[in-house]
Amino acid sequence: MAGSSAVLEDGSALSRLDRALYRVEKVFGVISGLAVLMLMVLAVVSVAGRHFFNAPLPGYVDWIQIAMPLIAFLGISYAQRDGGHIRMDIVIGKLKGRALWVGEFITTFATFALIVLLIWGSWAHFGRSFDFGAPNWSRDSTIDIGLPIWPAKLLVPVAFGIMGIRLLLQLWGYVVAIGKGGDKPIGVPLMKSAAELAAEEAEHVSSLDR
Amino acid sequence: MSSIEIGLWVSGGLLVLVVLGMRVAFAAGAAGVVGLIWIFWEKKDYAWDELGWALGVAVKTAGQVPHSKIASQELSLIPVFILIGYMAYYAGLTNALFDAAKKWLGWLPGGMAVSTVFATAGFSAVSGASVATSAVFARIAIPEMLKIGYDKRFAAGVVAAGGTLASLIPPSAILVIYAIIVEQDVGKLLLAGFIPGVFSAVVYGGIIVGLALAMPRLGPPVGGFGWGERIKSLIPAFPIFFVVLIIISFIYNPFGDPLGTPTEGGALGAALIFVMALVKGMKWAELKDALLETAKLATMIFTIIWGVLIYVRFLGFANLPRAFSDWIQGLEQSPMMTLVLILLAYAVLGMFMDAIGMLLLTLPVVYPAVMALNGGDLVSAADSTFGMSGPMCAIWFGILVVKMAEFCLITPPIGLNCFVVAGVRPELSVQDVFRGVTPFFIADALTIAGLVAFPGIVLWLPSLA
Amino acid sequence: EEWNVSVWGKRRAFTEHVEKLAELVSEKTGGEFTMNVSYGGLSKNTENLDGISIGAFEMAQFCAGYHEDKNPTITVLELPFLGVRNLEEEVAVSHMIYEHPAVQEDLARWNAKLLMTSPMPQYNLVGTGDPRETVESFDGMRVRATGGLGEAFKAVGGVPTSVPSNEAYNAMEANVVDTVAFAQHAHLSFRTIDQADWWTANLNPGTVNCPIVVNIDAYEGLSDEHREALDSSVDESIAYYLDNYQNNVLTQWDQILDEKGVTKVEFSDEELQKFRDATQGIADQWIEEKSAQGIPAQELYDMVKAKLAEMHGM
Ligand code: NA
Ligand code: NA
Repeated sequence: MAGSSAVLEDGSALSRLDRALYRVEKVFGVISGLAVLMLMVLAVVSVAGRHFFNAPLPGYVDWIQIAMPLIAFLGISYAQRDGGHIRMDIVIGKLKGRALWVGEFITTFATFALIVLLIWGSWAHFGRSFDFGAPNWSRDSTIDIGLPIWPAKLLVPVAFGIMGIRLLLQLWGYVVAIGKGGDKPIGVPLMKSAAELAAEEAEHVSSLDR
Repeated sequence: MSSIEIGLWVSGGLLVLVVLGMRVAFAAGAAGVVGLIWIFWEKKDYAWDELGWALGVAVKTAGQVPHSKIASQELSLIPVFILIGYMAYYAGLTNALFDAAKKWLGWLPGGMAVSTVFATAGFSAVSGASVATSAVFARIAIPEMLKIGYDKRFAAGVVAAGGTLASLIPPSAILVIYAIIVEQDVGKLLLAGFIPGVFSAVVYGGIIVGLALAMPRLGPPVGGFGWGERIKSLIPAFPIFFVVLIIISFIYNPFGDPLGTPTEGGALGAALIFVMALVKGMKWAELKDALLETAKLATMIFTIIWGVLIYVRFLGFANLPRAFSDWIQGLEQSPMMTLVLILLAYAVLGMFMDAIGMLLLTLPVVYPAVMALNGGDLVSAADSTFGMSGPMCAIWFGILVVKMAEFCLITPPIGLNCFVVAGVRPELSVQDVFRGVTPFFIADALTIAGLVAFPGIVLWLPSLA
Repeated sequence: EEWNVSVWGKRRAFTEHVEKLAELVSEKTGGEFTMNVSYGGLSKNTENLDGISIGAFEMAQFCAGYHEDKNPTITVLELPFLGVRNLEEEVAVSHMIYEHPAVQEDLARWNAKLLMTSPMPQYNLVGTGDPRETVESFDGMRVRATGGLGEAFKAVGGVPTSVPSNEAYNAMEANVVDTVAFAQHAHLSFRTIDQADWWTANLNPGTVNCPIVVNIDAYEGLSDEHREALDSSVDESIAYYLDNYQNNVLTQWDQILDEKGVTKVEFSDEELQKFRDATQGIADQWIEEKSAQGIPAQELYDMVKAKLAEMHGM
């Protein structure tokens, strides 16, 4: 199954950390959405400026370049928390109990390893664009109006850093689950039963329909 | 070991990771990083003291990809058109469209499914992303179909397939991406997608009617709507025509010069629908909900894009694209046969790859080969192989390739639309959706055959502009 | 020995010297030293310097104007109205600047060594409507020109408008811009020429500078024989490039202007001088800014001007 899953909570340290991080992730998610809205406003300002004021928005393309990472990366951990990144679950969906948690641990660990490497790589990418000695600390700038690019590049290792913490919490959750066995692990995305989710979804859609 | 062999091994490894249930974006990213390490280490003849160097270069090369590929103007269309989808929902447009389609087409065998297809086609005129279209209609249309006893797999398949229309009917993010890769006129390409999109919808409708006649258990017709009711149902759907008008007049204005660039037209359409949703009384809580949903879906798509692109970067170093090109050009057969084979290759490749990733990977190689088959970039229609000028061939091939890429959105194992429908409708597994969408493979095959045999379907509209 | 070379787009006049270099080097070393030229497979064009710095590939092409902060010294070659008249002059001043220690130090930050340039002709304007033949007529003109060139038109009342190059054709058709500044091959490939009523034949406002660089470690790691093969092929590759650009692009350009009946706008010396005076501030500002960063900006600028004066026999 692709997305929706739920995360169980209790009073343990793991669960408290999970919820604390989730609050941060949600804020990042909203910022990411607001950046989309900003893209739209940017285009309207650009068109209106040109047609009505003969004053096109200078550096329209440059600003888009700066806004895109906000949209693309800030929400990565938010999506991971709820199990939102897509996958095939033909094989893993057949497993139950400890076997399932071991399987989840392995792929989550591989993801963690990738993210750690990418924190290194994207930090280096940021590092090449940043120079304390240069004006605006910039060693890489946008084409039209020369905006420094380093803040946008810095966003990537930062977002990946939070993703790394999220993955560590999930790994911890899977270790606990492997120890305890059963089907009620804390702090990791679960595939809810179809009936539970259908009820939830129906409620969501009807609230939207007004 | 040659770099092409490394490329094949790592691609096999990627498949294994995906099948084991690793999230697709990260499986692709991990395969890419491992592949890069392998390629760079191979360059140093696998000397142990060079492994650290290979790791560093590979990681830094991969680490560039997420930011550098995402920070682009072209891709900015994607979140804007996802947002437009959710906004259209709050502006009541999706429901209005679906309602109107139901009243006009519901009487047909499989009527609700036919209505869904034409409602997605209408919605495609404001949505540039197939995945978002499927997500929205999975919410609206599937519950209604289930309520009156439709087979759940069939209902899911209709929505997953219907969503693919959004990338042919303008505005379309993926057509913009094609235009950018091959450096062709964006406006004409967008325009060219219109008739094939409608054609595709008609073929889908035909397949549904045929299926419903053969197997009535799939879904009953819904009738009993009078003409008054039908006409009245058009009124709330009317704003969509206005938005279409705006977007089209930025692409092609029959009364004079276009008003701006396609990119701007799309964003302006989004803004208009946003205002409409506000007028309809959208509250901050709802806006926040829509923004969060947009962010989640956009993040999901972008994560796959950069994940796949890390893998694609590795393929670039492994030189797999060039090997592919040499192989295609070395074939001794008629150019039309080669073209058909290329399209088939896309179908196979697309089973395992994301559409955007696939186009990014292959077009730099395949496009010049196809243009060369036709007789070159600037060939006249009279001197050409396929009977069309260079620029027209670029448009024709673009529509064919995008239709193939859309086809891949519904084919297993990585059919994004099917994943999304399953994600939105938890009572459906991915396997259910894939099973339900199977009849539409036949529909798509028919559509593509039609577009290959009668290029006029694609080229008539852009030839006017 | 195989080198990976990162360029972008399609094979075109702009990349012919790289292809020629690969061919010559392979020939001279009996196929021992080859180059695998990749069009966009290895890196994004604005990040070729990053790739060189990482060591992901050994040779790459990039344009200075894409990212001024990455290569502040060579942007001297992109200043408006330097007075470059043809591709040979462009090569001469570029290669002279590439030799300067401050420039080499600038690029060494990326572990890059400048090998040769990819000379581009002056970015003359293609425009719609009545020909603009005076500096005054640039007032309020919406022009697609990036970086320093955009600044230059702004200095005489133009309105620089950002449009991606692949949307330039549409932007002209839609009157988003009145004029587009490109080199001839780009006017041809982006089809802005199809919209043209006129073309500024002698405005010569400036151009972009796109060097070919090699990774320093890779270069120094070459055997003497291979390095010799590489170094000795540069001049021949450039000659091939110039010849190809002249015979294919520029000849075709003249034919198309004739066919389409595009007006060639010739500015008088007086008008050109007015434009030059109006934009002198841009060069002054460049010198001031870069000097503050410890770059011998005045020296670089004067070198270019002196070299051009010498070539013009003044
Ligand atoms: Na669309
Ligand atoms: Na697929």
